[in-house]
Amino acid sequence: MKRLSPGLFAALAIPVVLASLFVGPSDLVQARHIAQALTHPFSLPGDETLAMAREILLQVRLPRVLLAFLVGGALTTSGLSLQALVRNPLVSPDILGLSSGAACGAALALALPGIPLQPASFLGGLLAAGASYLLALNRRGLSILSLVLSGIIVGGVCTAILTLIQVWVDPFKLQTIVHWTMGNLHLASWEKLRSAAPLILLGLAGLYFMRWRMNVLALGDEETRAVGLNPEREKLFVLLPATLVASASVAVAGIIGLVGLAVPHMVRMAVGPDNTRAVPASFLAGGIFLVLVDDLARAITTFELPVGIFTTLIGGPFFIYLLKRSGAAFGE
Amino acid sequence: MSLDVQNLSFAYEQRVVLQNVSFTAPTGQFTVILGRNGSGKSTILKLLAGVLPFHSGRVQAHGQDLRRLSGSARASLLGYLPQFHRTVFPFAVQDVVLTGRAAFVLSTPGPRDRKLAQEAMEELDLLPLAERPYSELSGGERQIVLMARILAQRPRIILLDEPVSHLDLAHQQRLMRLLKRLTQEGTTVISVLHDPNAALLYGDHFVFLKEGRVIEPGGHPWSPTFMEEVYGVRTLAVPFGGGNLVIPEPAGGCHV
Repeated sequence: MKRLSPGLFAALAIPVVLASLFVGPSDLVQARHIAQALTHPFSLPGDETLAMAREILLQVRLPRVLLAFLVGGALTTSGLSLQALVRNPLVSPDILGLSSGAACGAALALALPGIPLQPASFLGGLLAAGASYLLALNRRGLSILSLVLSGIIVGGVCTAILTLIQVWVDPFKLQTIVHWTMGNLHLASWEKLRSAAPLILLGLAGLYFMRWRMNVLALGDEETRAVGLNPEREKLFVLLPATLVASASVAVAGIIGLVGLAVPHMVRMAVGPDNTRAVPASFLAGGIFLVLVDDLARAITTFELPVGIFTTLIGGPFFIYLLKRSGAAFGE
Repeated sequence: MSLDVQNLSFAYEQRVVLQNVSFTAPTGQFTVILGRNGSGKSTILKLLAGVLPFHSGRVQAHGQDLRRLSGSARASLLGYLPQFHRTVFPFAVQDVVLTGRAAFVLSTPGPRDRKLAQEAMEELDLLPLAERPYSELSGGERQIVLMARILAQRPRIILLDEPVSHLDLAHQQRLMRLLKRLTQEGTTVISVLHDPNAALLYGDHFVFLKEGRVIEPGGHPWSPTFMEEVYGVRTLAVPFGGGNLVIPEPAGGCHV
């Protein structure tokens, strides 16, 4: 099978990010503005249109594109790593009840006064994933089947609490909660990027370090022990950064469906199953994917549609098309 | 390096699988563990390989207690070929072989690890399959790939669980000859085998298990009496080399 190099995604990433700076409801921003802003980022322009364009470019579009890239890359890398961990390609970061937990935390913060939104949702995601993990532990270690089951249960409980909050709150808050859960890259800012980026980059570094060990782990517990590694420890070392990365992403951008499930598949189809290649390619491909989908979300309508709707509407059919075309992508 | 098993006992929940099993696998010899299905053969290997934890008994390799060893010390000592294996991800054969180096790799494998994996594949004629997806190989080919993984690991003791049960005759012979050669070079091999004839052909030292205990042959190990005790079936003995080839008695007896 012909394999693409992860370097191809790296080469694609820069033009995609640059081109995305042109996309948006305002037609003030032109190529010369971007060139000017890039070449002289700190000098103040004299002309008013230029100043406005510059403001849109640097304060609205650039943080948004960067956040979309970071979140897309983070969700995809987290999904790929968890798929290697549970040895099942049908898994996404949601498997640990993480998204529901994060949504639950966010809803609490939006419904009650005095709770900061982003930390609450981050903690909600971490707590849900932690609970799923602890429930799945038994005397013989971490059972993958139990992990999937406990993730479903924890996710279900969180969704129930979320619904309960939605029933109780006033309609205005209800709308905010619903919008939050659909993904909200349109609220991107440098501040949001600054708060999420360190956690996401830290987790990504951990996953990058573990990328070859994911190959070992994907072969099975017995096979991992047979070559002298402790599978429980290795699983935890993948699970921790994967959870960190996904929780921080959901906390800053809301629930963006399908990215963590579908993009890892596309990446494996492109670069092959070896995780030493697939992990860096996942970050780049996921970033490119979400930036492009967000471009569409901005370009199609004059008002903002939550990006989570688009990732599912566009990603879903495309994913099914790829699976059908490639046929037996996974052994059977 | 010899492996010394003393009073090993094991139970899955309430079901006792092994009771006070003791034996020694001598250095550079091919030790075969024989017995019926469910007699505890695979469990012994899993305990020795560290795949299952054991709480009663002791296993020493050259005087060192196996339970006290770190992961990489254990990996340079012991290699283990599980009974049956498959994976959902279509990893290339060379990537599976490379995982044999796991205990000696910090983050990603280096040139030396790649070289050892390459040599292991060469040894087992796997180079033509190097880029093929492991998940699309036949059971027999997968077994050879996992054997190459052990060679890349370079352990001094190799544990194998039914290594030839999925292999055709040619692969069987190739694998058994390789194991034989490894023992001549000083590696200790301990293998579970179903077929007493393969054991006779290649083995140096034999351990017979029945219902979780080691049983000793009173006289000749391949005698029909002892074979009946081990396997619970009547057999015919065909004299061969230093022992007997064993043929299960066909229905209605046999008239040779």
